[in-house]
Amino acid sequence: MAKRIVVDPVSRIEGHLRIEAVLDEQNIIKEAYSSGTMWRGLELILKDRDPRDAWAFTQRICGVCTTVHALASVRCVEDAIGAEIPPNARIIRNLMNATQQTQDHLVHFYHLHALDWVDVVSALSADPKATSELAQAVSPSWPKSSVGYFNDLKKRLTKFVESGQLGIFSNAYWGHKGYLLPPEANLMAVAHYLEALEFQKEIVKIHAIFGGKNPHPNYLVGGMACSIDPNSDMAINIEQLNKVKKIVDDTNTFIDQVYIPDLIAIAGFYKGWLYGGGLGNFMSYGDFPESDVDDTSSLLWPRGAILNKDLSTIHDVDPRDVNQVKEEVTHSWYTYAGGDDKPLHPSVGETTPNPGAVPKMPYKHLDTDGKYSWLKTPRWNNNPMEVGPLARVLVAYAKKVPMIVDTVNYVLKTLDVGPEALFSTLGRTAARGIECKQTAGFMTHYYDKLMANIKAGDTKVFNNEKWDPDRWPSDCKGFGYTEAPRGSLGHWIHIKDGKIKDYQIVVPSTWNASPRDSNGNSGAYEAALKGTPMANPEQPLEVLRTIHSFDPCLACASHIMDMNGNEISTVKIL
Amino acid sequence: MNLKINVLGLGNLILGDEAFGVEAVRYLDSNFKLSPNVNIIDGGTQGIYLLDYVESPDCLLIFDAIIPQDYEFKVHVYRNNLPAFIHRKLSSHQAGLSELLSVARLHGNVPDEIVLIGVPPKNMDMHVGLTDEVRKLVPEAVEMGINIINEWLKEKE
Repeated sequence: MAKRIVVDPVSRIEGHLRIEAVLDEQNIIKEAYSSGTMWRGLELILKDRDPRDAWAFTQRICGVCTTVHALASVRCVEDAIGAEIPPNARIIRNLMNATQQTQDHLVHFYHLHALDWVDVVSALSADPKATSELAQAVSPSWPKSSVGYFNDLKKRLTKFVESGQLGIFSNAYWGHKGYLLPPEANLMAVAHYLEALEFQKEIVKIHAIFGGKNPHPNYLVGGMACSIDPNSDMAINIEQLNKVKKIVDDTNTFIDQVYIPDLIAIAGFYKGWLYGGGLGNFMSYGDFPESDVDDTSSLLWPRGAILNKDLSTIHDVDPRDVNQVKEEVTHSWYTYAGGDDKPLHPSVGETTPNPGAVPKMPYKHLDTDGKYSWLKTPRWNNNPMEVGPLARVLVAYAKKVPMIVDTVNYVLKTLDVGPEALFSTLGRTAARGIECKQTAGFMTHYYDKLMANIKAGDTKVFNNEKWDPDRWPSDCKGFGYTEAPRGSLGHWIHIKDGKIKDYQIVVPSTWNASPRDSNGNSGAYEAALKGTPMANPEQPLEVLRTIHSFDPCLACASHIMDMNGNEISTVKIL
Repeated sequence: MNLKINVLGLGNLILGDEAFGVEAVRYLDSNFKLSPNVNIIDGGTQGIYLLDYVESPDCLLIFDAIIPQDYEFKVHVYRNNLPAFIHRKLSSHQAGLSELLSVARLHGNVPDEIVLIGVPPKNMDMHVGLTDEVRKLVPEAVEMGINIINEWLKEKE
């Protein structure tokens, strides 16, 4: 019988993302199933609330994507009620969005993803002198590369391990055959893991300055809630703007001198491991509008779709078109009044849970022929689509956005691989780094734009014309979008008599982690895992590597502290 | 002396009693006037993004929903020696308090004092608002927190 492995971050409360993979005799993944095992019914929480407060609730959907949900939410309310925002509000939103993207990508690479490629235990046998030479070769200008620096780090790490505290990196697969870096590269990467976590603390201070408070910045329907006055102590003044400038510059330096060189150095050892490509269909709503958010020609991240890896044809995407973006629930634990396999556009979407279909805990494996996920199944023109950094970079590459074309070509040339290498787990990981360099550049761009406006005397950030619900249509609908770090995010709202009648959210991870549709087509995670050989099914490093490359957003709802110190991810082989 | 104290409330506002920590710091903020040395933070579920709030103070007081070792429905207080580990996770959103503490340890930036005040949840279904049982424990938990803060201010000043 075929082996079936299950990777499930089981907690005592509820699971979140669960992967089941069926292996053949050679331990190659034949079929994979992705399931969101946690019910997320935010739509129901929003009913009857004031639309101007929706952003504050939606930003709690997700632990680390607060800004993006707030942004999509204010955009959809503004769209519904016809509110226009001042140029400075758009610039500040873009600056905050670029800040979030940059920080998020950096943290993802070092904090979540690095341990899929980097073996911490191997770092203990590195020669500090050789590590120093490697670090200086990889990034000649980065100052933290002396023999003494790596010697100290090695001592600290060794002390941790010897005192039995390797537990802090517990449940990892040290010594797994899938790790290919030499000890020196591992030690360098561990150093940068710690440096990146230290540095990211600075980046987000931009949110505190413009968002009024951190870690949950304030947004406002009609603009932004901050006030700007270069000479006042009570507003964003010149001192704070100078601080922003310093953070922006330091961020660009870190990305250029640490993240990108590390990415290329690590990828160089793994360029033979080109699994995980998956669907070959990619979609981006686009983002970073230079004028009105509806003027898609002004988006610095272009909008479009690619099918079957064909970069010569970019398809137009219109999320408002009721025939393009639709969700069905054939394999999801929901019921649609008109039939589970009859897809609905989010503007007329339904959220009716069908908990009776959920298997009772504990269960061995999911009923993958029937319903098996709390995620709905979104499709674009009936196609399953991958969203996120790789999708955006490919759309921009195909549309010949100069900065992306240059960086992609530089990375491909340095690694001595062709563009087909992009369709892989490694390609997804590289795309995130390429994009991070771009968004760090956006931070500079928007800072400069904001300063130019302030110097010209324009400090307006809020337009109150539509603040009063009496000035809204009694019945109106709106759509708001953004490209979150993980991909295309859409919010759809229906407002009646000043209150939320319906609210539908289609998040990026629903696109990527969706179950099969009524035509039997897999979602992006499911497709990406197919065909991957596993060295040791009890240590599914390869599965985690590919799933992590998508930067999943499914386990964000709860952060309960377990005083027993239990690990919450388990691997089972059935 | 300029003692810095951070009071960090953790939890998800839209998951019932999971929001205990956030509700506790909100209650604290609106009912008490504390010394300017004390910084109150609604940390939500932001995991590793809260690192600065964990590493930067001299003393750290955390309110969070917890699974206690010996299940008893009451306010639990833990001083120092909190579980710290980085586990293999599927999503960066799984990074919780234990992971923050372990990264702080690796950075060598651990506050002198760390206290966790927690309550086990009764209901974690997706909705806004604590159960009556947990809500009743908020004033008691906050009072315990204030006593600890005052102790710190007295000892260290």
